Amino acid sequence: METIVNTLISGLISGSLYAAMALGLTIIYGVSRVFNFGHGVVALIGAYLTWMALQSFGVPFLPATLFALAAMFLLGVGIYRLAIKPLLQKPNWEFSTVLFMLGAGILLENVLLQLFGPRVKSIPTFLTGRLIIGFVEINGHELALIAIVIIFIILLSLFFKYTRLGQAMRAVAQSIPGARVVGIDIDRIFSYTFGLAFLVTGFSGILLGTKYYLNPHIGWEWMVKGFVITTFGGLGSTTGAIYAAIILGVVEALATLYLGAIWVWPIWFGMFMIILLLRPQGLLGGRL
Amino acid sequence: MLEVRNLDSFYGELQVLRQVSLHVDAGEVVALFGPNGHGKSTLLKAISGLHPPTAGSVKFQGEEIAKLPAHKIVERGLVYIPEERHLFPDMTVMENLLLGAYPPRARKRVKSNLEFVFHIFPKLEMRQKQLCSTLSGGEARMVAIARGLMSETGLLLVDEPSIGLSPGMRKAVFEAIAAINRERGITILIVEQEIENALALSNRFYLLKKGQIAFERPTDQVDIAEIEKAYF
Repeated sequence: METIVNTLISGLISGSLYAAMALGLTIIYGVSRVFNFGHGVVALIGAYLTWMALQSFGVPFLPATLFALAAMFLLGVGIYRLAIKPLLQKPNWEFSTVLFMLGAGILLENVLLQLFGPRVKSIPTFLTGRLIIGFVEINGHELALIAIVIIFIILLSLFFKYTRLGQAMRAVAQSIPGARVVGIDIDRIFSYTFGLAFLVTGFSGILLGTKYYLNPHIGWEWMVKGFVITTFGGLGSTTGAIYAAIILGVVEALATLYLGAIWVWPIWFGMFMIILLLRPQGLLGGRL
Repeated sequence: MLEVRNLDSFYGELQVLRQVSLHVDAGEVVALFGPNGHGKSTLLKAISGLHPPTAGSVKFQGEEIAKLPAHKIVERGLVYIPEERHLFPDMTVMENLLLGAYPPRARKRVKSNLEFVFHIFPKLEMRQKQLCSTLSGGEARMVAIARGLMSETGLLLVDEPSIGLSPGMRKAVFEAIAAINRERGITILIVEQEIENALALSNRFYLLKKGQIAFERPTDQVDIAEIEKAYF
């Protein structure tokens, strides 16, 4: 009993981090239909920027995070303006944007390697101590992570529901011709969407970096996880991605407990393929 | 209000519009007839910037708009209501209407425009919390027209509003279009296959055939046989 409950909790913790990570991928795909194959490295850049501000410049945690998020937003807007926008105007943009982001991911991975070296790094936790309720034991930092992810998801959904920009992003996600008819500047919305998605992805990288070790190559593992989660939940559906992340996080924890960590990938992909065969639209389908 | 001169439009290599000229005066309702596939929708899309013309001029309220992007044209109050509706399916009727008020000018008039929209389409007021993907064809058509009205429009381009609707719904839609012109003074250019219904609410009409304007008449000198002949 004790082990199961603690395992479930640890599944929830990684699941909520995965949810935060998958959101950025879902937002870009949902609005622009571009699948960001450099997603994991983007998350990693957010983490490394924060690490740099903390360790090299001695900035406190909050301003370090804000600096990293602002940089991520600009990086997203910049990549859209310089590369994605021209690619979208050509035929075969679905394929060319995927290849471009894959190439950009590899390039940026090597930039990280040059700048920060191959040794693992980690972002310090922001809380210490443990919370013990009966036999349930949660590390204070991990509890804080769950709380941060929940608040973050609530803020994002409020943004999409109630702000003009958020509504315009959903409108573009649901019907580009409809959005043009009501006078939405599609190019501007794509640009902000890349900015927002990079910011969200970078933020998830920071959170991941406080729980797992960082190295310049770990982004690909995150990328594959994000890929499985978003497809499992229904490409472009934010709610679907959150459910899928929690489910897969718990599955991961249970598989590790009973079968060993080596079984996590086979089970994830087994579930992934079954869901694709039974429900090709994913768990929820739907749109942003 | 709208002055189109020598408009050419292409889809790839295919020339769809040839030297099309027409004008719509403030307060008028003008119908645009013609066989399917002869360029009616393309003309509306060219005017509204959704499929920009390759040559020619479009003047709206005296200013050249042929080179402007679609969203700038909407901001000026020239609004296109597509035949395909293009609603936002996973949003409620109300969310769709409020997105219609996306242009800055329209945001200030949300309240009075909503009142008018619910006045001509009382059914939408009851359906405002419903998702658009669950609406019937007729209701979805009403939302499409209503969303266009929310954009604080001066000139409405309506593309085949009655297509695919039941006779009862068709009547409601034509009555609503007449009311939009009568009660709000909004100028209308309408493409329609229901010739008699469209004639009943318009002042003039054009006939577009093979991408060219074949003729233009006031509706009080109409000869239905002449129009029908043009279709064959």
